[in-house]
Amino acid sequence: MDFSLLFQNNFKMFLPEFFLATSILVITLHGSLVATSKVLGFPLLLKSFNRMSILILGFTLILANNNSASFLIVYSSSFIFDLLTLNVKQFVLFSAILCLFISEQSLKFGQINQFEYFILILCSILGLLFLTSSFDLLSLYLAIEMQSLCFYVLAAAKKDSSFSTEAGLKYFIIGSFSSGLLLLGISFLYGCTGTTHFDNFSLLFYEINSSYSFSTSLIEKALLCIIIAFFFKIAAAPFHMWSPDVYEGSPISSTIFFAILPKIVLFSTFLRLFQSCFSYFNEILLLFSTCTALCSVVIGSFVALKQKKLKRLLAYSSISHVGYLLLAFSCNSLEGTQSLFFYLIIYMLTSFSIWSVILSLNTSRNLDKSKTLVDLASLSLVNPLLAFTALIAFFSLAGVPPLAGFFAKLEIFVNCLGSSLFFASLTAILSSVISSFYYIRLIKTIYFEKVVDNGFKFSVSRSCSLILCSSMFFLFFIFFNPSLLFLQTHKMALCLF
Amino acid sequence: MYFLIEEYLPIFYIFIVSISLALIILGASFFLGNHKPDSQKVSAYECGFNPYEDSRNKFEIRFYILAILFIIFDLEAIFIFPWSIVLGQITSFGFWTMLDFLFELLVGFIYIWKIGALEWQ
Repeated sequence: MDFSLLFQNNFKMFLPEFFLATSILVITLHGSLVATSKVLGFPLLLKSFNRMSILILGFTLILANNNSASFLIVYSSSFIFDLLTLNVKQFVLFSAILCLFISEQSLKFGQINQFEYFILILCSILGLLFLTSSFDLLSLYLAIEMQSLCFYVLAAAKKDSSFSTEAGLKYFIIGSFSSGLLLLGISFLYGCTGTTHFDNFSLLFYEINSSYSFSTSLIEKALLCIIIAFFFKIAAAPFHMWSPDVYEGSPISSTIFFAILPKIVLFSTFLRLFQSCFSYFNEILLLFSTCTALCSVVIGSFVALKQKKLKRLLAYSSISHVGYLLLAFSCNSLEGTQSLFFYLIIYMLTSFSIWSVILSLNTSRNLDKSKTLVDLASLSLVNPLLAFTALIAFFSLAGVPPLAGFFAKLEIFVNCLGSSLFFASLTAILSSVISSFYYIRLIKTIYFEKVVDNGFKFSVSRSCSLILCSSMFFLFFIFFNPSLLFLQTHKMALCLF
Repeated sequence: MYFLIEEYLPIFYIFIVSISLALIILGASFFLGNHKPDSQKVSAYECGFNPYEDSRNKFEIRFYILAILFIIFDLEAIFIFPWSIVLGQITSFGFWTMLDFLFELLVGFIYIWKIGALEWQ
């Protein structure tokens, strides 16, 4: 058996992942040899490792762009490559580069000096890439585990802070509980059908009649377990309790990763699982996701009203945004899926803007504390340009018209009405009004509240200002010319139908 | 019903054999061995710790590190055993796959060696 021919195309398709994995090995060796070297004086590798990780991810992005085939199922059909996985990988790698780019200064301020931090980040991104293209329940589970094990350690990266350790532990316990649920669902599915492969599921459930010997009620329960595990991972409302604590406790550079990266990957993979494989069971899945969506939207809007700390506030805001995304998922139509991706991408862009604003709030008083609403006060006097950018970003999250967030919300509500989810869309619109209150309250704090002395303000880092201005440009640009993004998300959604 | 018996009968045999083997070993040591109990022998074995004390004591973190490292290398050994038995059937592809795995393990080993996780001082 000539294995070089057998796996030839598979290797070609997996080139970005192979490159990333090899680079992880190399920089592990490099870090462990250099950081412990007595001759070099035990150097801190923070800056060089940050740059190196950005470089590695950049090369991985280039390799992912140079994909040779447009559709392929590889490695004993446990991984798939199509336009959706390609686009999601591009977005993930691109946003990972941006995350590393803007978090350099905060790593320095947070005194996170271990070089392992970057290895863990690269490993989690490798896991996310595998998760994006997984086409089998086993590879899906393993990829989720790889990604989330790295995230647990990233949450606990600040070893001397008890908050960070607590965040890591909480994340670990909740994450392993949800992984257990996922495994339970997978084993039920395997027990009923004898397969774990996505394609087999879609063929099997194409049309069910009485000659089948498996019970559909057990499969429904299995799917319920899987979808609950999915809700835990994306922090949708009744399963959201971990996310504010984890966001608050972990160092801000890790929080940015949790907040921005995994959502698009989890949504694309589970959409593939539920919409193209288990569309027979849509009735119960959509009912459940609609209930969760409404719960998230309402809880995210109401609980965020009482939050004083910025990270907790953003955690609850992200819960309500996950609610809108699930509402788009519940539409169960091509347009709904398209609006989901549209919303997700615009939300990611806006998040970059908002997290960069939070990263730029450092003063001599609050350097090692978590930022509260007070830190935003009289920002318009100290740094009017930063204040204006924050205003644009918060208005876009709230969905105010001349910005991209407006189109994203409009799309979702229109598609909900198109799928006759009248009560759900009414509730979501009302809660979006409530949630716009706290975004506007933030803007009021920035522009109208005066603080006598907030300490000496550090200047905005160059990387943050670069991200701030480019994401602000996109927020305007997408409002005036959304057709490019519409087209792209439409193509992504078409892969699932 | 027939396939149930055919597939699960070996498992049932293993079940019976393991229970009877356990009973034989325990019973033999109970009936044939010398019994001179003292306080050290009958107390619970807790690798160097007092078995009954406050459970909120601080615990040396090196024990955890050692346990984690032990599990990693233990699993590696378990992984190698079946590979070495079927090596004749899986051709060079299986051989190089395992060497790749061992190489990655080596990188991990160099890492834990260099950062000093193996030192007890």
